[in-house]
Amino acid sequence: VDAGAARDMLGGVAETLRIAGIARPGEVAFTHEGRRIVAPQGESLAAALIAAGIRDYGAGRAAVCMMGVCQQCLVRVDGALAQACLTPVRAGMVVTAA
Amino acid sequence: MIDIAVLGAGPAGMAAATEAARRGARVMLLEESPLPGGQVYRAPPAGFGAKDDPDRREGDALRAALAASGAEIRTGCRVWGVGGGPLVPLGAADAPFRVDALGPDGVPFAVEARALLLCCGTSERILPFPGWTLPGVLGLAAATILLKAQAVLPGRRVVVAGAGPLLYVVAAKLLAGGGQVAAVVDLAARREWLAALPALAVRPDLLARGAAWRAKLLTARVPVLAAHRVVAAEGEGALRCVAVAPLAGGASRRIEADALCIGHGLIPATEATRGFRAAHRYDAAAGGWVPVTDADGRTSVTRLYAAGDGAGVRGAAAAPAGGRLAALAALRDLGLLDVAAHEAARAGPATAHGRACRAGAAMARMMALRPALVAAIPPETVICRCETVTRAEIESAIGDGARQMNQVKQYTRAGMGPCQGRLCGEAVAELLAAHVGGREHAGFATGRIPLRPVPMRALLGEFDYADIPVPKPAPI
Repeated sequence: VDAGAARDMLGGVAETLRIAGIARPGEVAFTHEGRRIVAPQGESLAAALIAAGIRDYGAGRAAVCMMGVCQQCLVRVDGALAQACLTPVRAGMVVTAA
Repeated sequence: MIDIAVLGAGPAGMAAATEAARRGARVMLLEESPLPGGQVYRAPPAGFGAKDDPDRREGDALRAALAASGAEIRTGCRVWGVGGGPLVPLGAADAPFRVDALGPDGVPFAVEARALLLCCGTSERILPFPGWTLPGVLGLAAATILLKAQAVLPGRRVVVAGAGPLLYVVAAKLLAGGGQVAAVVDLAARREWLAALPALAVRPDLLARGAAWRAKLLTARVPVLAAHRVVAAEGEGALRCVAVAPLAGGASRRIEADALCIGHGLIPATEATRGFRAAHRYDAAAGGWVPVTDADGRTSVTRLYAAGDGAGVRGAAAAPAGGRLAALAALRDLGLLDVAAHEAARAGPATAHGRACRAGAAMARMMALRPALVAAIPPETVICRCETVTRAEIESAIGDGARQMNQVKQYTRAGMGPCQGRLCGEAVAELLAAHVGGREHAGFATGRIPLRPVPMRALLGEFDYADIPVPKPAPI
């Protein structure tokens, strides 16, 4: 799958999973495992990944509790371990598997 | 030194901090989330809109009162250490409590307080089943956070399963958000819900909301399977379908779905009270192990208080009054409120608390742990996800002589990973309980710091081994 097609596909999923009619801040771009992802600034990283169709955050682990308890959504943000559910999306953040 | 440190800015913690600060106490409220609110009244991130609903209004009212109270609010803080108080050398008197936390900037700080009020809420119980580790399977409470605070659907076609009112909250919110609910799989039989109704008579608002949720499902022709359980989640790398079967036994059927939201009730967060070696009791109808408290939230440890769902699941409606009672008790015990003023002040919240608890207790009973679900876990199913420990490995440790939760943890590593047993603890404890004569005998894992994972470098700060003074070797 070339990068452009992957982006279109992910963009399509994002359109359907974000609930319509809710005011959101402007979108920013970040990368997950090298893929460019666009999400509203301040959305939780876990929500942004789910909205982008990414369920597996690395080694088959995925967000379970969304409240910082289960540690299953652990990723690296700019190299440091972080829980995706507690991390707000920022422009330019580099997200990789934990 | 402050008067009262309050841990957790859910409804109990917000109300407690508000009550104490309004009456002149020096109060600090510490919270992990970026904004006060807790799970039920969670505020969306800055710049996000939210649909107006009663929870939103109730949460906003509590936040407004808190902001006006004069309490110091420290959000985005990870509290990893609690100490002081009774945890001082024998004979040392009247030590303050100490709370260690990491600030939002990652900078560690500590606060000393004369009294400590724990409003740590609950986490969700998700009992394991084959396939529960597949991406696409998440908690019911997780789904409410995703839907309410982030306005993101967990999937396009969702199975909602488990126990309690959250089932219908999540299903209705999925529909309202434009999602598809493939089925609601309710552990409770219809007669169990009917039996709970009289206790809800004091809360006609809840009854009306419940009826509205049910009506939405009916209109959308969502199948509601009563007295059913999820047998397995299936898929390669991600969820594709959910197998469900009647609780009484019988053939299972498969439902196609790309998300499964499942929860089996709420577990009070007791790691801090366990850390202080406070007295606990096992009360399945209140969510499990809870600290022993008096009617005003006093634990067995002097000047340590617990309120809200963390002291026993009674719901968000009961939590603010519980928080106020504990705050008033702390003020009296610290000499900041005289006996007569305390008696007068506690009458209102005590009545409100009692009334709300009756409805809350009925809902908590619906969410109590069902041992049959643990008995049904196949031997090869992973129980502890952090350390990949299966049921068979846990039972092998029990067969080898593990008789307490700490021993099972030491034998198998179940509960030793980064979630610290919060995700697997209930299933492990039930498996053990079946061999040792109940949960009371199985006990619980010792509460230890760090209460949450924190980076080592954040705790060490500028520490360097070269800074350790090394005494010169003694002459021989």
